[in-house]
Formats: sequence, structure tokens, C-alpha cells
Amino acid sequence: MAKNSWHRLLAATTELNITGIDRAAGPAGGRAAAEHGTGWGWERTRPGNPHGNSSPEHGGTRVQLLGLPSATRARMNVGTAHSEVNPNTRVMNSRGIWLSYVLGIGLLHVVLLSIPFFSVPVVWTLTNIIHNLSMYIFLHTVKGTPFETPDQGKARLLTHWEQMDYGVQFTASRKFLTIMPIVLYFLTSFYTKYDRIHFVINTISLMSVLIPKLPQLHGVRIFGINKY
Amino acid sequence: QCRLNVLITNFCSVSFFPQKNGISNGTLYKKTFIEHFEQAPMYVAVFTFVGFAVGTIFGYLRDFMRAWGLEKRNIAAEREQQKDFVPLYQDFENFYTRNLYLRIRDNWNRPICSVPGPQFDLMERVTDDYNWTFRFTGRTIRNVINMGSYNYLGFAETDVNALKTVTIELKKYGTGVCSTRQEMGTLDKHVELEKLVAKFLGVEDAMVFGMGFATNSMNIPALVGKGCLILSDELNHTSLVLGARLSGATIRIFKHNNMQSLEKLLRDAIIHGQPRTHRAWRKIIILVEGIYSMEGSIVRLPEIVSLKNKYKAYLYLDEAHSIGAVGATGRGVVEYFGMSPDDVDVLMGTFTKSFGAAGGYIAGKKGLVDFLRTHSHSAVYATSMCPAVAEQIIRAMKCLMGLDGTTQGLQRVRQLEKNTRYFRRKLHEMGFIIYGNDDSPVVPLLLYMPGKIGAFARRMLEKNIGVVVVGFPATPITESRARFCVSAAHTREMLDTVLNALDELGDFLHLKYSRYSKSSHPELYEESRLELED
Repeated sequence: MAKNSWHRLLAATTELNITGIDRAAGPAGGRAAAEHGTGWGWERTRPGNPHGNSSPEHGGTRVQLLGLPSATRARMNVGTAHSEVNPNTRVMNSRGIWLSYVLGIGLLHVVLLSIPFFSVPVVWTLTNIIHNLSMYIFLHTVKGTPFETPDQGKARLLTHWEQMDYGVQFTASRKFLTIMPIVLYFLTSFYTKYDRIHFVINTISLMSVLIPKLPQLHGVRIFGINKY
Repeated sequence: QCRLNVLITNFCSVSFFPQKNGISNGTLYKKTFIEHFEQAPMYVAVFTFVGFAVGTIFGYLRDFMRAWGLEKRNIAAEREQQKDFVPLYQDFENFYTRNLYLRIRDNWNRPICSVPGPQFDLMERVTDDYNWTFRFTGRTIRNVINMGSYNYLGFAETDVNALKTVTIELKKYGTGVCSTRQEMGTLDKHVELEKLVAKFLGVEDAMVFGMGFATNSMNIPALVGKGCLILSDELNHTSLVLGARLSGATIRIFKHNNMQSLEKLLRDAIIHGQPRTHRAWRKIIILVEGIYSMEGSIVRLPEIVSLKNKYKAYLYLDEAHSIGAVGATGRGVVEYFGMSPDDVDVLMGTFTKSFGAAGGYIAGKKGLVDFLRTHSHSAVYATSMCPAVAEQIIRAMKCLMGLDGTTQGLQRVRQLEKNTRYFRRKLHEMGFIIYGNDDSPVVPLLLYMPGKIGAFARRMLEKNIGVVVVGFPATPITESRARFCVSAAHTREMLDTVLNALDELGDFLHLKYSRYSKSSHPELYEESRLELED
């Protein structure tokens, strides 16, 4: 028994999946992934497993050795108040963030309204454009996490939108962040009195922020833009 | 819309207190179990996010200025010849470290130069370039009150009389054992220590290991393997998580201290069996801790034991922070709840916290411990405990059990209990939000906003008090906290000093968010009745 576990430790740290477990994990992994929604785009890791699960169907375990300089300790979740492998996935579910988000948009709008040169329709269009541009940059362009995670960088190539809730689709936060630009678009269309030029600009801006949120585009990089 | 989460559990549905006459039948808990996890008002969460947003924006600005040469670069950079290669590291992964952690970095890794007792000496550090580098001035800050060490019973001491036996054993055995338990590393000191630990806990046998973390990570793989199921609490320590992952068993997580979640997992496991084959699980083991060190909550042991008996699972209890710290005579959560040690299958603990030493133990039935002596990784590959350290544990444990002829051990436990109650009660009265059980010596005080983390720690140091603060990403983003560890060695004066400092600082930094404080000006420092007020 000790020998078996030692063997597994050795195999895990060198990331060799010598046993046939990995192959057998395929169908089970696929079925489970279908239950949870689509998983990560790039890496075929199991969604909904913040504990870094080492179930038999998952195959090799991701293990970090016990050499303990402080960088390694940070990577091993030592001294944390949660067992979340990637805290970025839970940020959008935190208490108060939806309210802060709405207040942020309100603040932006008020600041723009206080500039004397812009008329109300222009201000609304500007709010819409700046909001959608910021959302595109922070949710769909910036990749990875601003801190090191103990999972050896599974999320390095994923944007924040793809990281949310470990890739599970149609969660509450995802729905909220999809609906917000649409609501803003309605308000903007009303306040610009459906003028043609404003309509074209606002619609293009809305599309640019809605299309990346589609589940079919999870992990997709068109023409290799923003791949690495 | 009560936003307070005060969990008062007593299985007798009517009374608040356990029945006073005769046997309390139908009650699992012999005394009230009160835990607090109060949520701050919503504006606090909003301001926390504003704080992080401002920090992030300034972080991007500073990165931009550093990239374009408008600001000096203090960090390592690639050589000219390497600039065209694909970079080895993603610089975004260090964004948080560079722009947020680094600014308040002087609050961690502070070198101390004395024993970490109730007070310690700190080496004075200054920085000339905003925490990129530090420089020691050569002075020591003396007698800083220590609110961060896990020194629950005050055994981290340098008193020559107390350490006499340790010095004798050190001279006799030296410092190194230079062998594993199964080769030549089992000394008579280990045997003596193991017998004493078994006697202390009231179990048949025990085994000790040289390192507390390794006790978990090396022994869980020996106990469970593939085809077994581990049900582990959400907030379990890394050593338990690592041990569980190394074992190869299936891991399922239940919500922190939530018995409904655990019962649901148990029922699902027994009804559905293993994932594809639906065979029965070989073993189901529940991993919990006695006291959780970041929340200060105590495990709901009576309920877990009744669940485990009902569904025939095993229980592994990690008493790292609770052995010596809770219980009427310091024997841990098992004694705290008035249960028998036979209820728990595997009792694990460490000697690092309450005993002022190093290492860990696993205790239980003789069959279990004999199995571990043969099959544990530690026994086969890791060096055994140093005999001088073993002697320190022996003398601390004898003191605790009263075998050294004094009542000092019991006095320490009582003092810790008094200190804990006093400290927590006063903090509640002042209006701070504290997490955890009323009887746990680990006291997390919530700070919430990232700016307050640095301000709190620095101002406490100016007042000569050393605290441990922790923020995102080690905690959830809205719940940064300062964690106090009350010790039996703290005198009432020290605690009053700390409480006064906290009072002042709480007003200055606006930390008193609790909406359920009893009185905001505790002018009187007398002991009032400890019953619940209505």
C-alpha cells in the first residue's frame, strides 16, 4: 500500500499517466462534463472541481511536493481561508459586486453628463461605448490571473469570462453580465431617439460584447488573435 | 431580514440552555454552541470593491510608467539578448504581487529575535524604496505583544527550570536521530512519548511523527486508497487536502460545518456507490478539523459522530489547533463536547501549537496504530522526531496532565479559557465583527477593505502589538481579516493594552461594523455575568 501510493506520487509529479486510468476516464469525463456544462476550452480538465479532485476517473493527480520556500507555500494554498484553487472564478459571485458594478456605470454616466459639451444622446452613446469597451478589455481580452494559483497555470490562457465558475455556462453571474449591456442598449436607444448613426454605433458595440459571451465561443480565438 | 448568522444549536427544541435537572435526553450538545459569521452592511462590500478597483487602475498606470521608462524599474528584467524570445513568465501573473502585495509587504515576514512567547523582540526594518528592499537598522523593538503565535498554552518559554529535562536529554542524545522509524530511529524517548500521548488522550495507542504537516500528508494515503471516498470540509488545511489527493481516493467536499450538506453527500455515496460501476465504496472517511484556523469555528462533533454511526463511515479528526486549547483539561474537542475518544476513529494532532514543540501524532485503536507503524510513509522514509523535542512534549504534557506534581497545567488551560472569553466578549461589545465560536482562541477580526489591511497592521506595530493580517487571494475578496491567537501566557494587562489599542484603531479606521454590539463604550472592565442577555 505504501509502495502503491509512492508510485502514484512519483507518477503524478512527473505527469506521466502510466496506468490505463486516463483512457478509461474519457467517456466518464465527457458525460460528467455534459452534466456540468462545457468545461474549460483549452485544457480538458473537469469543471466544477475547485478542490483539484483526484477522482479515479480524473486520472493523474496534480501534486506539488513538500519543498517549502515561500513561493511554493503560496502555490499550495497554505494559510488560506478557502479551498478554492482559482479565486478569480468566484469574484463575480461575491456579495456586493453586482451593486458595485451598477453603481460604477452610474458614476461613469454622471461624470460624462457633467461635461458641458456633450448633449444627452451623445452622453448615452458614450456611456454605452465606454462600458462595452471596458467590458471587452477586462472580461474578454485580459487572460490569466493576477496572482499565482496552485493549479500550475490552468487558467493562464483563459480570459476572465472563460474562468468564471470554472467554465460552467449559464450561471447567475454570467446571465447578469449578459443582460447588463442589453439593458444599457435599450436605455441608450431610447435616449438617442433611435437616431440612425447612434443606432449603428451602439449596435456594433453591443455585438462586440455579446458575441464573445456565447457558449459556442468558449475558448475560441478567431484568426489566432489573443491566443497566447 | 436578519442578516446575522448566529447559529445556536441545541437538539432540544425548546430550551436555550441544557436542562438543569437530571439527564438531558435527546440533546446532542451538552452546552450551547454559538458561532458568529455576521455579514457587514452592503456599503462595506461596495467600498471594498472600489478599493480593489482603484488599486488595479493605479497598478496598470504604474506598470505602464515602468514599461515606458517613466519610472525606475526595481524588478528583475530580461537581458537584451533575450528580448526576442517568448517570455518565460507571464508578467500579469505577478500583477497582484507587484502592485498590491508589495506596497504592504512590510507587514509580513517580519524577523523576530526572541522566543515567540506572549511578547517578543522584533528586528527593526526600514525600506528606502517603498518595500522593494529592506534594510535592518540594527535596533530591536523590544516587548512587542504577540497576538499572532499559536502559543495557546504558553509553552513557548525559555525558563531554565522548566526546560531542565530538555537540556539533559539534549546533552544525552544530541540533536539528530539520523534514521527513519523502521530502521534505527525508534528511541526509548519515542516509546515513552507515544505511551504518554495515548494516556493523555484516553486511547489505546499513538504514534508520533517528526513534522505536523507530514503527519497528514503521509498517513492519509496509508489509510485510504483508490475505491475509497473522502468527504472533506470546505476549509480543510492544505496538509489534509494534499494527503487526500496523494491517496488517490475520490474527494467530495461538503460546505463548511454544514451537516445537511454532509448528510446529503453520505446518502448519495451509499445509494449510488462508485461513479461508473455503482459498486459500494470500500471505505468512506470524513475529514474534519477541531478548530479551523482562519475562521475560528469549532467542528460540530456530536452531529458528525451520530451521522458517521448512522451511515457507517469513518472519522478522521485533525486537532492541530484544538488539542490543548479547548476542553476542560485541554484534551481537545472530544472533551469539549463531553464525548468519548472511542467515537472518533483516527485522532490526529500536532505538537506545534499548544505544546511549543514540533511534530504530530496519530492516535486510536491499537490495530490502527500498528498498521500505521508498518505502512505509513513517514515511518518508512522520514526521519523520526528529535529526542530533545520529544522531551519538550513529554514535559509539557506531564505538566498539562498534572503528573509533574503541580496544578500548573490546569491553571494554564483555565487561564486560556478566561482570556479567550474575555477577549471575545470585549471585542463583541466594542462592535467589531468577529468570526467563529465563542470558545475558540483563534479570533479573526474582519477588516474588509484592502487599504485597511496595511493600515491596521502598521498602526498596531506602532503601538507595539504584532498581528497577522491576511487578504485576497488567501481569503474571499470581501473578507480580509486580522487573526488574533489568544494565549494562556497573556496577562490581563496585555489583553487590556491590546483591547485599548483596538478600540482606538477601530474608531480611527472605522472597523466597528457590527450591528449587534451590546455597548459601544465598555467603560467598566469588570467581569459581568456570562449568560446570554435578552
